[in-house]
Amino acid sequence: MATETPPAPAPPRTLRAGELGTPQYRRLFGAGREVTIHWVTFLVTAALVLAAVVPILYQSIRNQPLYAAGGAFTLSNYVHLFTEAEFGTIILNTLLFAVLTTVFALAIAVPMAILLERTRFPAARLFGQVLRWPIYISPLVLAFGWIVVYGPAGFLTSTVREAMGWVPWNLYTLPGMAFVEAVAQVPVAYLFCANALAASDTSLENAARSVGAGPVRVLRSVVIPMLRPPVLYAGLLIFGTAVETLSIPLILGGPAELTLFSSFLYEQGIDAVSPDYGLLGAASTFMLVTTVGLVIVQARLLKQAQRFVSVRGKAARSNLLDLGGWKWVGFAFVGVYVVFGALLPMIALVLRAFTSLLTPLVNPLKLLTLDNFRLIFSYAPYTESITNSITVAFIGAVAVTVFGTVVVLVARRSDFRLARLLETAAQSPHAVPGLIIGIGFFWAFAWMPGGDAVRGTLFALVIAFGLRALPSAYGAISPATMQLGSELDNAARVAGADWWRTVSRILIRLLVPAMLASFLLIWTQMIREYAPAMFLAGAESQVIGTTAIDLWTQGETGSVAALATLQIAVTAVVAGLAGLLLKGRKEKNNA
Amino acid sequence: MPELVVENLKKSFAGNAVLEDINFTVADGEFFTLLGPSGCGKSTTLACVAGLEHPESGTIRVGDQVFFDGDPRSAVPPEGRNLGLVFQSYALWPHMTIAGNLALPLKLRKVSGPEQKRLIDEALDKVDMLHLRDRYPHQLSGGQQQRVALARGIVYAPGVLLLDEPLSNLDAKMRDQARIWLKSLQREVGITTVYVTHDQVEAMSLSDRIAVFMHGRLQQVGTPTEIYETPATPEVAGFIGRCNLLEGRVDEAPAEGSTVRVELGSTGQHLKVVRTQDVREGQSATVGLRSERITLSHRADVAGDGVNVLRARIKQCSYTGARFEYQLSVGDLDIHAESTVRHEGEEISLLIRPEDCLLYPATV
Ligand SMILES: Nc1ncnc2c1ncn2[C@@H]1O[C@H](COP(=O)(O)OP(=O)(O)OP(=O)(O)O)[C@@H](O)[C@H]1O
Ligand SMILES: [Mg+2]
Repeated sequence: MATETPPAPAPPRTLRAGELGTPQYRRLFGAGREVTIHWVTFLVTAALVLAAVVPILYQSIRNQPLYAAGGAFTLSNYVHLFTEAEFGTIILNTLLFAVLTTVFALAIAVPMAILLERTRFPAARLFGQVLRWPIYISPLVLAFGWIVVYGPAGFLTSTVREAMGWVPWNLYTLPGMAFVEAVAQVPVAYLFCANALAASDTSLENAARSVGAGPVRVLRSVVIPMLRPPVLYAGLLIFGTAVETLSIPLILGGPAELTLFSSFLYEQGIDAVSPDYGLLGAASTFMLVTTVGLVIVQARLLKQAQRFVSVRGKAARSNLLDLGGWKWVGFAFVGVYVVFGALLPMIALVLRAFTSLLTPLVNPLKLLTLDNFRLIFSYAPYTESITNSITVAFIGAVAVTVFGTVVVLVARRSDFRLARLLETAAQSPHAVPGLIIGIGFFWAFAWMPGGDAVRGTLFALVIAFGLRALPSAYGAISPATMQLGSELDNAARVAGADWWRTVSRILIRLLVPAMLASFLLIWTQMIREYAPAMFLAGAESQVIGTTAIDLWTQGETGSVAALATLQIAVTAVVAGLAGLLLKGRKEKNNA
Repeated sequence: MPELVVENLKKSFAGNAVLEDINFTVADGEFFTLLGPSGCGKSTTLACVAGLEHPESGTIRVGDQVFFDGDPRSAVPPEGRNLGLVFQSYALWPHMTIAGNLALPLKLRKVSGPEQKRLIDEALDKVDMLHLRDRYPHQLSGGQQQRVALARGIVYAPGVLLLDEPLSNLDAKMRDQARIWLKSLQREVGITTVYVTHDQVEAMSLSDRIAVFMHGRLQQVGTPTEIYETPATPEVAGFIGRCNLLEGRVDEAPAEGSTVRVELGSTGQHLKVVRTQDVREGQSATVGLRSERITLSHRADVAGDGVNVLRARIKQCSYTGARFEYQLSVGDLDIHAESTVRHEGEEISLLIRPEDCLLYPATV
């Protein structure tokens, strides 16, 4: 059979103008598909935020558990809360704790920022890096480490008692608790001040020096006033964190019988045999109002601060102040903090994980053991809590980063009408303490038809942890979009890409480094997160933090240290891998 | 491809009117230029045509396809307009190779692989960039990036090509070359083009027609010759080329004469000016006088019949290579003139033909 000859290919020719036409896109509900994407993004975000908050507000004005039939509106919960005998003490404790934490953290961080950023300082870069570390370690782990070193039976405490007969510190007091919390918060204050100093214009300083002001004088009259905005902002941030934090009030406040607001919520909701839901709702609402108020003030301040900070190109580092002999005083200050505040507790904790006892009386190398780890790996729920944490953190970091990126792009790179509202909604979980998110979702799942199937699963944890991390993802990705000129999107749109194509072909590709950074940030945040899980986790969905607290209350200090060591190791490995990946990409792009 | 029509366009940002009452039509295959000083609204007009901004009111259409009819909700989105837009900043996608940049619009239009390659190579060949097709944008010089941006704008044969100051980032010499090359490219492709620039030399040498923009309004639309020879307003005259704008008062306007006489300020000297506009005696008026149309001479008697003679003083003379530039004063008026001849001394006569004077009666 003769094969048919294919038709000769048409000779290549130049296209006529407009010949190819425009690409066709599927339309949903009579509009471009981006409309659907925008609305879905908005509704999901709003639903998540509301699910965490509305049940609490509702419960606070009901006289029955909100899932129970019947019940009526009432204000008695609030009456109950405010007339609770301990209420005044709790508020006072919380306030004192928060104020002391803020003062301690700033007193440590601000001088260090000035020393490292503005004066000739030995190994300034190295110290600058080391100071950031505690960000990656949770306050819970830090508290364990501190107890191992400075607790009543701690390593240094015993040493000092041996030598002097008494010990000048006691962790189980408000100032003691505040100091540990402060160490956890120093990096925050340091980063704010150091960034402000690095970005500020040194010509002011030079001007002051040229009229004959000495270095100390320059510091006092030019540098310190410049730091007022970041100090104020960091102070508020730390204050807010101290108000809501659970770890230290629980670990250190418990034995000292000092109740703070967060540990009060914990006692009411978890420890109590039959929790008073109404009281818990009212107390949660009270806490929520406080933190939301603080965040609103912060936002106001940040707007003003940006107006005052002079950002005018990176100043040359050549004109650093020389403090002469005083430099060694500064060096001692920074050195003592880094060694005794951050390094020693971590080293001791890791050492404690591998020994049966840590005391100055016996060489720790003689007490080496793996028993602490054995306990964890011999009991399935403990082992599971580690895999649970890793699973939740991994899935959560991926999901939150992807969802956060879409939220940022809808809020910043689309003509969606509610873009501003979406941005506010995505940032709002920042104002909701972890414990409250846990309570809120706990009730939301209890209330929702079919919610019981979700409550107590890892999925519930991913949702709750993820919502809490959403503002971080937003904060990591949003600045990166500002670096991308809008003409990149515009060029794609004109070339025929609809909004979603523009996002998927252009913007997301260019945001990959920011997304990796966001993944890393969320991962470190989620692997140590546990507060929402206190309420939400079931027997099979414990995480490292909840297991550690559980072990701690059983007095298994060694296993707690082992768990903390594992957590640090996992965090470090992933951080290292992601860092390599980021660096690799950068090098590839620069090649 | 049919014509591009823009009617009654109005646009403001936060209450500030940026465009008012913009009307123009660009014919098929025409090279049409929007010319105006910085900040007058040229890019905004282009963005409205491309659908990147929505005007408050007005109509934008290509042929009978209406892109915008006053209602932003029924506006055709940018991707539905089939236009090519070359940005001032090039806006090449940094994560794609040159070929990748050109391929995206073709991929979106579902062009087959081999055909894509053929079109990309053809477009890159037109701009002399074929040898760099696998490079990334950051590996190219500014001029090369500009060519790629242009190739990306034409590779999918859009209905209309919009160019926003595509040559502004080039040095003077490259810009001259690019201009010649751009013109021949547009001829070859035959695409309807709207070109935005604030450089009048670029506009004059490239365009079939020019629209002069000022303060968000169209001052005049016409061929380069029309714009230069008969600018519609003193502002246009002042913006295009070097033009002296002299304030004065009409002191003789005979009913049947073809010229009127204008007294220049309080100098006591007069200019006879061709009556291109309806003027009354006693009315104030501005006379536009192009620098290169003034003849300098030491002898007033060489003036032909009907030629104006002004007595002037030389304040300064500077040598620019190709010619001499003079700062002159006539009474208290400053005048700028050009000549290829060097004139010594202080006193000088200016010979000016009435038909070289542009008459603009003051509006009341
Ligand atoms: N997004 C915006 N918000 C507010 N004002 C704007 C915005 N975009 C442009 N404008 C203002 O509109 C006016 C016109 O801007 P446009 O960019 O169209 O000027 P242009 O003629 O292209 O100038 P140039 O030659 O400098 O590019 C300017 O006064 C500008 O300040
Ligand atoms: Mg412009």
